[in-house]
Amino acid sequence: MDFNIALFLAQDGITNGAIYALLGLSLVLVFTVTRVILVPQGEFVAYGALTVVGLEMGTIPGTAWLLLVLGAAVFVADALRAENGRQPRILMLRALTDLVLPAVLLGVCWVVAPLDLGVWVTAPLAVALVAPLGAYIYRLAFRPLAQSPVLVLLIAAVGVHLAMIGLGLVFFGAEGFRSEPFTTASLTLGPMMVSGQSLWVLGTTSVLITSLWFFFGHTITGKALRATSVNRLGARLVGIPADRSGIIAFTMAAAMGAISGVLIGPVTTVFYDTGFLIGLKGLVAAIMGGLVSYPIAAAAALAVGLIESVASFEASSFKEVIVFTTIIPVLLWQSLRSSHVEEEEE
Amino acid sequence: MTAPLLSVEAVSVSYGKIEAVRSVSLDILPGQIVTVIGANGAGKTTTLGGIMGILPCRGGITFQGAPLATVPVEARVASGMSLVPEKRELFVTMSVADNLILGAYRGVRGAALRTALDEVYDLFPRLRERRQQAAGTLSGGERQMLAMGRALMARPKLLMLDEPSLGLAPRIVMEIFHLITRLRSTGVSILLVEQNARAALKTADYAYVMETGEVTLQGPASELAQDPRVIESYLGVRGTTQKAEETPA
Repeated sequence: MDFNIALFLAQDGITNGAIYALLGLSLVLVFTVTRVILVPQGEFVAYGALTVVGLEMGTIPGTAWLLLVLGAAVFVADALRAENGRQPRILMLRALTDLVLPAVLLGVCWVVAPLDLGVWVTAPLAVALVAPLGAYIYRLAFRPLAQSPVLVLLIAAVGVHLAMIGLGLVFFGAEGFRSEPFTTASLTLGPMMVSGQSLWVLGTTSVLITSLWFFFGHTITGKALRATSVNRLGARLVGIPADRSGIIAFTMAAAMGAISGVLIGPVTTVFYDTGFLIGLKGLVAAIMGGLVSYPIAAAAALAVGLIESVASFEASSFKEVIVFTTIIPVLLWQSLRSSHVEEEEE
Repeated sequence: MTAPLLSVEAVSVSYGKIEAVRSVSLDILPGQIVTVIGANGAGKTTTLGGIMGILPCRGGITFQGAPLATVPVEARVASGMSLVPEKRELFVTMSVADNLILGAYRGVRGAALRTALDEVYDLFPRLRERRQQAAGTLSGGERQMLAMGRALMARPKLLMLDEPSLGLAPRIVMEIFHLITRLRSTGVSILLVEQNARAALKTADYAYVMETGEVTLQGPASELAQDPRVIESYLGVRGTTQKAEETPA
């Protein structure tokens, strides 16, 4: 491997690592707030990428219909479930978020899809279509289990993942697609050529991570989410509704998944089940952060991206094996460290 | 007669098949300090859990005349109830200031939030000094102050304190009880659950005694402090009652 190849691999690794970082951060967010290991995180990536492709082809993507059906299901389930869920004011609010929002988005797709307005319209629309799916899935699948052990929540997450993979096949078919790039420009830095799309990935990720830092550190909603993850009972006692925290966490995770999908759509051929593998790499990063640490998860995600890119050059058929093997020493180290903590507590 | 702020009628709380609290009734009038005393395991904390909605319970609870049966914890906080639990339940990795700000989650924002913060810092000057420090690094007494301060940030009408003196040095306990008396002047009603019967009866207007999940005695705190049964079980010359129980005859 000479210097030029190393530079190229580093660029590739950092670009992928940035995507894994977004997914890793989403997984940490969802786990700390709701204790759900969000196995279907990768599906939001695939849905995001393929929704853009669907819109580019001038069709109404399946995600728009899914949103409408899930919204209606959640609306009915909530009205039947809660004792105070049938108050007119609450019903009106829920009708807005669960029925009107999906209908409006479907209408926008119907108008926009045939016009071929380009990536500046289709990309935000795709994110807008996928983000509410997170909230609906939380309310339908996870909220009724909120008091259950982590294992039960994990099993439910696997169930949601399988369902989303199946629906992905129905909506987008078995073929893989690439979407239009954001830009075809590229930049020459010394011996290295940096593609415009890579810069988009890095720029968007940096902006998102900075916004997350601001959100958690300086807004009351962000602090409330952190409080929920630090002490669930304490959070309820100051009046933070566990429900709302879960909905916000899932919506943010779905949005970040969709944004990741929109960003990688032009550089990777995305199939209906591509998301799972990408999500798993985000999970590797999240686990390296102990599923609680945002900075470690983000740094680990970059490391995962770099390891993957070097592995794909040196031993391409073992690429995935090498990436997933890195988790073993981390788990070993974490288990040694956590038993040490318990001893200290005793 | 003034209508009670909180009225608890024949409330029972069970853990599975075991009934930890049986048919407890109590009233708190506006501006009153009411204490529930009793030995460890008498069901005092469980009763508070039922009132706050953390534990499922049977019976009737009304706050400001409105029944609470289907009201979730978060909405009870919004309506003016605050519980300072025995274990404090602080956000240990977050700063003292953030803990306090979150205390006002259902309440004030902006300038009013800063005023509320200043009021709490005036009550607990120690918290002002430590405002940038993580809550987990505070001492036991400071944690109790932070837990009380966090609850006060919501500007509650009813403040419920579960064993505020537990595990604290005598000097800090005095400080906490002094503060409870001061709080009364701000108009907040207080439900104080305590094992430290002597201090609790001295501070409260009205008192209930709980034993094995039931209320066995009640009355104005000053009268209960004279009651021979209370003196024997809870006030007897400090230490001798317990020693007599522990030493076999």
